Amino acid sequence: MAAVLLTSVLLIAACGLIYELVAGALASYLLGDSVTQFSTVIGTYLCAMGVGSWLSRHIGRGLVARFVTVELLVALVGGCSSAVLFLAFVYTGAFRLVLYTLVAVIGVLVGLEIPLLMRILRDRFTFKDVVANVLTFDYLGALGASILFPILLVPHLGLVRSALLFGLVNAAVALWSTLLFRRQLGAPRLLVGACVIVLGLLAAGMAGANRITSLAEENLYADEVVLARSSRYQRIVLTAWKNDLRLFLNGHLQFSSRDEYRYHEALVHPGLAAVPGARRVLILGGGDGLAAREVLRYSEVESVTLVDLDPVMTQLFATHPLLTALNGGALTSPKLHIVNADAFVWLDAAGELYDFVIVDFPDPSSYNLGKLYTTAFYRLAAKHLSRAGLMVVQSTSPLFAPRSFWCIARTIADAGLRTYPYHVYVPSFGEWGFVLAGLRRYEAPPRLPGGLRYLTPTTLAELFDFPSDMRPVPVEPNHLNNQVLVRYYDQEWNEINR
Amino acid sequence: MTLSRRRFLGTSAALVGLTSKTGRPVAGGFVDGSAPIGHRLRDHCAFPTPERAVRIPLVIVGGGIAGLSAAWRLDKRGFRDFVIVEMEQRAGGNARWGDNEVTAYPWGAHYVPVPGRRAVLVRELFEELGILRDGQWEERYLCFDPQERLFLHGTWQDGLEPTIGLGTRDREELRRFAARMAEFRATGRFTIPMALGAGDAASPLDRVSMAEWLQHEGFTSPVVRWYVDYACRDDYGALLSDASAWAGVHYFASREPEERGPLTWPEGNGWIVRQLLARVGKYLETNAFVHRIEPTGTRWRVLAARTTYVADAVIFAAPTFLAPYVIPGVPDPHFVYSPWLTANLTLDRWPRERGMPVAWDNVIYNSPALGYVVATHQSLRTTSDRTVWTFYWALADGAPAANRALLLQRDWGFWKEAILADLERAHPDIRTCVSRIDVMRLGHAMVRPAVGFLAVRERFRRAHLPERVFFANSDLSGLSLFEEAQYRGVTAADRALATLTRP
Repeated sequence: MAAVLLTSVLLIAACGLIYELVAGALASYLLGDSVTQFSTVIGTYLCAMGVGSWLSRHIGRGLVARFVTVELLVALVGGCSSAVLFLAFVYTGAFRLVLYTLVAVIGVLVGLEIPLLMRILRDRFTFKDVVANVLTFDYLGALGASILFPILLVPHLGLVRSALLFGLVNAAVALWSTLLFRRQLGAPRLLVGACVIVLGLLAAGMAGANRITSLAEENLYADEVVLARSSRYQRIVLTAWKNDLRLFLNGHLQFSSRDEYRYHEALVHPGLAAVPGARRVLILGGGDGLAAREVLRYSEVESVTLVDLDPVMTQLFATHPLLTALNGGALTSPKLHIVNADAFVWLDAAGELYDFVIVDFPDPSSYNLGKLYTTAFYRLAAKHLSRAGLMVVQSTSPLFAPRSFWCIARTIADAGLRTYPYHVYVPSFGEWGFVLAGLRRYEAPPRLPGGLRYLTPTTLAELFDFPSDMRPVPVEPNHLNNQVLVRYYDQEWNEINR
Repeated sequence: MTLSRRRFLGTSAALVGLTSKTGRPVAGGFVDGSAPIGHRLRDHCAFPTPERAVRIPLVIVGGGIAGLSAAWRLDKRGFRDFVIVEMEQRAGGNARWGDNEVTAYPWGAHYVPVPGRRAVLVRELFEELGILRDGQWEERYLCFDPQERLFLHGTWQDGLEPTIGLGTRDREELRRFAARMAEFRATGRFTIPMALGAGDAASPLDRVSMAEWLQHEGFTSPVVRWYVDYACRDDYGALLSDASAWAGVHYFASREPEERGPLTWPEGNGWIVRQLLARVGKYLETNAFVHRIEPTGTRWRVLAARTTYVADAVIFAAPTFLAPYVIPGVPDPHFVYSPWLTANLTLDRWPRERGMPVAWDNVIYNSPALGYVVATHQSLRTTSDRTVWTFYWALADGAPAANRALLLQRDWGFWKEAILADLERAHPDIRTCVSRIDVMRLGHAMVRPAVGFLAVRERFRRAHLPERVFFANSDLSGLSLFEEAQYRGVTAADRALATLTRP
């Protein structure tokens, strides 16, 4: 029996440390500044344990029943702590209050455990052996937990399930303690029932952990999520608030329906309006059909080829009523031809020439995406430009990421094209940049198609002017074998997203 | 702030969703070359007499880079009356390759460093293949970024030279080592091809091992020793203590650190083989094992599997150690060869990891193996679910003969486990990713520039060798490199041509 009880010491010590680590890690994740979070969480926790130990003096009789009750409470509160914290961060404005309250409650309960156990063991050992044995197993349990946490638990289970798992351990200790001491307990059946209920609740939590986190994740978006879809390539989330429809891909904002016209008019018209009689247009990326909508304003355009990696994306924007209202049904236009393929590979195999090429890829945030911004890519794209054709490239922000922006411009120039960088202000994005490129000289178009909300010939000319804080900076070109752009981009956006 | 929060939450939410999966069954087996036929040669077994006889001016024995390069040279010179006999089903030798539903992949040599000015023949070939155009290297054949990474202290770092967790002594020695190598480079004696420099047999560097040289020069940092040891195992299949210091220095001092390379393809140097075959494949006879080359009058009778060729001259581009078994009067060259194992792993998904993202060449610090190369790295795609990794392992520790015996004794399961256990150091979940491991055992994978190798090759060069047999294998250089194989092949072709066209 003593061995079983000492094993219990080992396990509950491990549980106690796990809850502390979970709280510290979660606070670091969500609030940043891990030194502060861990320090305050550990401090609060240890202090609360002291309070618990002090409170243990007020427990007189019925030690075992009290111990089992405490275990069950720790199991419930500790086991659910991680999920509660996730949800509190998302749903309430009082994350810190919930955090420290929870840490304090768990601390008090955990602080009660060891004194109670020592007193239960009092009759079985001499005092010095009780202290030696209990504290030894207590510290050993803590060591085990501290090793398990970073190596096994966080990578394989995650925070929500780790906490739930150790809640199950606490409840199991409660259950076998009840069974062990059933002769001395007044109402063993009641306690066994409570143990089973707690075990059941936590097990259900384990099974439903995925739902809890996805619930938390989706509520990170400020507005109501009207649609969420996971494709092979990305997570597509559409949110709506009043008349503002927002698209997020993997959590990154793609557009807001309130100002996307600024982005897409600026993307398309400075170039396309300057290619009189353009008949064939190629769009690389842009599966939302918004660039296509702008292209279709030109009646002389006979065919638009849209190459987007993700069929779920193009399917969605061709069929969902909210989205087809936004892109004017562009993706179902008879002029439009959708290809779901990896753009570089597709272009490498394609043979046609185009009068206007729109390159609207995700930002170069990885070496894989960076390939689409290399001299090799632009040389290939140039081969698909008709003699009078132009190409426009989405080039991230010249204000937030100046080296990235000017690196893209430099890379296109190194691929043998003339470049004409410009920028536009899109409220939901900030200052955004594009590079127009062609084999010939570019002249700003005198006229624009009708129905535009933002661009006029006068504003268009002003886009090409760069104020002092967006002036060119010295950069290297981006090559497949030396992707400086990915490093520029990583540095620049890391400085902003603190 | 919001963005980073979202990122963090996204990460942890993803972690929660993952459950620990145990390893799954892995398919695969040995993909062996023709070692068994070679052993019949060694054991003096009888071979059937060929059915037909063909009279031909020149036979090239061996369809690796040396043999194909000889053919390339002859063809360009307008000489077309010859045959290449290759014992394997496919040409390629050490540059052979394979493919599956995911990608093509190498079985051996997988890159060529951007050739310097002195590698004239390599540049000539590369211009012809469109790799070099108007002085510019074709970008998509240069190794994509990130090129190399090293798993050290539990994380992946950029580049193979250790940079994290170094002490001042390590740093100082790394700097001093680089400076010493720059001095050697400046002498101009360490060249590629090596025959153009002064690889003189009496070089004092050839008399000591690279380990002894490091010791003598006061390099004691374990980091420097690992780095140089890795280089020796990677290029020579030899430990620091087994490689000639001349070769060790050659590795670092022979190339100009100018262009950001190397040149590589999904199938490794198999890509070059394919281009060469498009030009000279018409001369190739495969599945033709040459078991005897004997004089007949002033000619040579070359007994290949089904055919006897009666030739005026022979270019012997197969490994030179085979020659004494096949050609009467050829002395044992006493070259040392390193045994290797290569494996191609098909992954159905990528392992989860943090830090420096996956590179082309991925090395684990202090691993007995050499790491893995990602065959899909040169793909233009931005996403890929499946991939193939080529795992390289030079069995450098111990005597080559004992390691060759080990290669034959152990079954596929043993090597599969060894490979997965090695990868598990850096990729704990590798067993949940891999669906297939094919293993190739190469007993004589490459010539080893052991201590004194310059003297040994000099002795073979000066030995009394039969006339009108021109040796062409890269092992004559003591360095198993593409450039050396090509140089030996072309030189042998030129000499054969001079003999054959002599009035």
